[in-house]
Amino acid sequence: MQFRNLGSWLILGATLTFLIGPFIIIIFAGASAGNSLAFPPEGLSLKWYLKVFTVESFRASFVLSMGLAIFGTLAALVLGVPAAYALNRYKLPGDEMIRTIVAAPIIVPGIIVGLALLRYLVVPLNFTVTVALFFAHTALILPYAVRVVSSSLNNLRSDMEEAAVLLGCSRVQAFFKVVLPNIRGGVLSAFILGFVTSFNQVPVSLFLSGPGVRTLPIDMLSYMEITYDPSVAALSALLAFMSVAIVFAAERLLGFSRYV
Amino acid sequence: MLALPAAVFACLLFLVPVMILLSEAFRMDGSWSLQGYVDFFAKPLNRTVFLRTLKLGVLVAGTAAIIGYAAAFCIVNLPARTRGGVFGLVVLPLMISPVARTYAWIVILGRTGIVNNAIVGLGLSDTPVRLLFTETAVFLGLLQLFLPLMIISLVSAMENIPRDAIPAARVLGASWVQVFFRIILPLTKEGLVVGGTLVFTGALTAYITPAILGGSKVLMLETLLYQRVNVANDFVSASVIAMILIVMSFSANLVLKRLASART
Amino acid sequence: MKTVAFAALLGCGLASAAHAEKTLTISVYAFAQDEYKQALYDPFEEICDCTLVVETGNSVERMAKIEANAAQPVIDMAVLSTQDALSLADKGLIAPLDPADLSSYDKLYPAAQDPIGNHMAVGYTFYASSIVYRTDLVDIDSWGDLLGQDVAGRVALPNITGTQGPLTLMMLDKAAGGTGTDLSDTISTIGEHADDVVTFYSRSSELVQLMNQQEVIAAPVGRFAWSRFKDSHLPLAWADLAEGQAGGMNVMVMTKDNGHEDLALQFMDYWLSTEVQTRIAQAMIDSPANKEVTVSDAVAENLTYGADVINALNIMPARSVIDNREAWVEQWNTQVIR
Repeated sequence: MQFRNLGSWLILGATLTFLIGPFIIIIFAGASAGNSLAFPPEGLSLKWYLKVFTVESFRASFVLSMGLAIFGTLAALVLGVPAAYALNRYKLPGDEMIRTIVAAPIIVPGIIVGLALLRYLVVPLNFTVTVALFFAHTALILPYAVRVVSSSLNNLRSDMEEAAVLLGCSRVQAFFKVVLPNIRGGVLSAFILGFVTSFNQVPVSLFLSGPGVRTLPIDMLSYMEITYDPSVAALSALLAFMSVAIVFAAERLLGFSRYV
Repeated sequence: MLALPAAVFACLLFLVPVMILLSEAFRMDGSWSLQGYVDFFAKPLNRTVFLRTLKLGVLVAGTAAIIGYAAAFCIVNLPARTRGGVFGLVVLPLMISPVARTYAWIVILGRTGIVNNAIVGLGLSDTPVRLLFTETAVFLGLLQLFLPLMIISLVSAMENIPRDAIPAARVLGASWVQVFFRIILPLTKEGLVVGGTLVFTGALTAYITPAILGGSKVLMLETLLYQRVNVANDFVSASVIAMILIVMSFSANLVLKRLASART
Repeated sequence: MKTVAFAALLGCGLASAAHAEKTLTISVYAFAQDEYKQALYDPFEEICDCTLVVETGNSVERMAKIEANAAQPVIDMAVLSTQDALSLADKGLIAPLDPADLSSYDKLYPAAQDPIGNHMAVGYTFYASSIVYRTDLVDIDSWGDLLGQDVAGRVALPNITGTQGPLTLMMLDKAAGGTGTDLSDTISTIGEHADDVVTFYSRSSELVQLMNQQEVIAAPVGRFAWSRFKDSHLPLAWADLAEGQAGGMNVMVMTKDNGHEDLALQFMDYWLSTEVQTRIAQAMIDSPANKEVTVSDAVAENLTYGADVINALNIMPARSVIDNREAWVEQWNTQVIR
């Protein structure tokens, strides 16, 4: 028995080192006192962590990525919550079809979505790249929104809203007064999942970049092609901390993992 | 009615543009034909890239399944208190930007990186081994990126195995190999199908990892697509690659489901 | 605050036609953007009372993008290699530049005044290309050394699609006793050595990283990138090669019907002025095409400066690159990248 425990800790230790190790390395490589990316770093300092905040293009692309993640997810929820509700509560004609259409963005590779929107929305219809990015990110998050909200609707008994209707609420009132408060956790979880997915998204945004418009991950990619300093490592570590903090807080407050 | 806005949005701003892109390779010189596909596969480079993508996808998914089973089995058998923490550490990398996760491999696999320092230090080789811009580098990067998806799928599948099934089989004299093939595998195959599809599809459609760790010498379909469009405005090749990627993802799912139902 | 900024951004986007403010969108190489901002962009914004939007990338990607957006130009003014500019001119996607609109025109070296014919472009910088290498590890004195045993496994070569690719092939052919016109044998030779090449890069900027990381110890590089290498903590040198230096010119073009022609011309003229060309030369970024620029010997040492140096460069005619590019890429993809 003792031996088996040792064996399983060895397996887990090796797996977790492989999964988490690179992240630890990035944190330290970013904290180098030297001028080039290396591990172990040449002395420790916070200068690259501070430099990140002074790079102008990082600031602009951070704002863009933040905006896309927040507004894209909100839009996906505005579209997705009613859809999930309808698919969950009513037997609709063609609901399988609708399910497939709404889930499609998860199946189609992101790079193709980006290219298709660039070629058939931006170029001929004169949409700006920012708007196309917004659409692409909304479409990308939509399947997650529908799925997560659906699973929390599943846990909600429908007789509660029936009761509300019997007591004189309209259907719409019943939705806002009874259903929405009860699936709040699911909606927030969908928001966080959508936010993290959108913020870290690369392939969709690859083609959707234009003069002055670049999402943060794409900007980091081009920065690291030009400059060989540890600031991209520092920025990566900061962003990772941000994502992890958000998810950790969500788990503590909402039991995030129940919904995902 | 309530589902309509979502469906219309997904149709107009997503499905329609993607469909037009996919149809592009069939519309050569104004008429419908398969010439785009014939031309694409006539080029040796394109065939190599296609086969390499397929190979790496299968290798990554296969390796992830092996590691995934071992890790998931250990996780499920942990005491409840530690289990949540370990599971959290497995999920953690999924929250970190793939740019950051891939970037780390440059430091690890470089000539002066820790892997090479270890190889030279241990006397396994006199000179550092070239690891960056090789298939090995891309393989490791992809495995690290997608292994968590496999572990998560398998852990939730294994939670459904009755608690005493394995000890009972052991008491009755079954070897661990028999336990795996007779009990664990049949009861977790749905998790394997989900995990396998996710990992395989993820490996096919990752861009950053092959771009940074593979470069122009280890092109994969995704990086080839980017290059064809960016250098030559070659939308026919882009359309063909797009179709291949979608067909490959779907077939992977079908094949895995087939295999799963054949086993019983 | 961010919310407001983004909402505003989306708002502008939706009403894209209603852009009243003067903006000029330019697309340039990614090198030394901080220095360029100081020497050129910021002072120009003061003069023109306009906003400059800068996009960066390599020449061939820029060319593809201009072609993809031809119906509705996104970029007003771009800098390109001569062959990519000529290719756009052939397709009718760029507008001719009237010398009368460029007050600095007469100050340019003759070769820069009308490099691709019909006044479709003006040269703004010359560059030499040679091999940057690690002096402590290898000796490099011929282009042929790129394929030698000393650097095997630690050499990077430019991809055929980029600007440096054909130049390197030409010099390799000359080193092998050829004339530098028929490159098919050279491509086959590189194919045989493909395993010795760490990577085929498409942006010179990637090389800085690879060299610093000691992944690569020798690679062909354009002089415009040299300032990045010489700051390295490693002993890197610019090789003096038996076959001489390869070289070329980068040119400015203006997209057709972009709606900002006056501003684009004003910007080009400012960039070509003795004042700006001197500033950029002093910063050791790009070598001047304006012959009135004078710099100290120490600075000239780092540039491709003066008529003598420029005339000695091995230049590949833009037309022959365009005529052969497709065949080269085909052969390259079959024999080299495999």
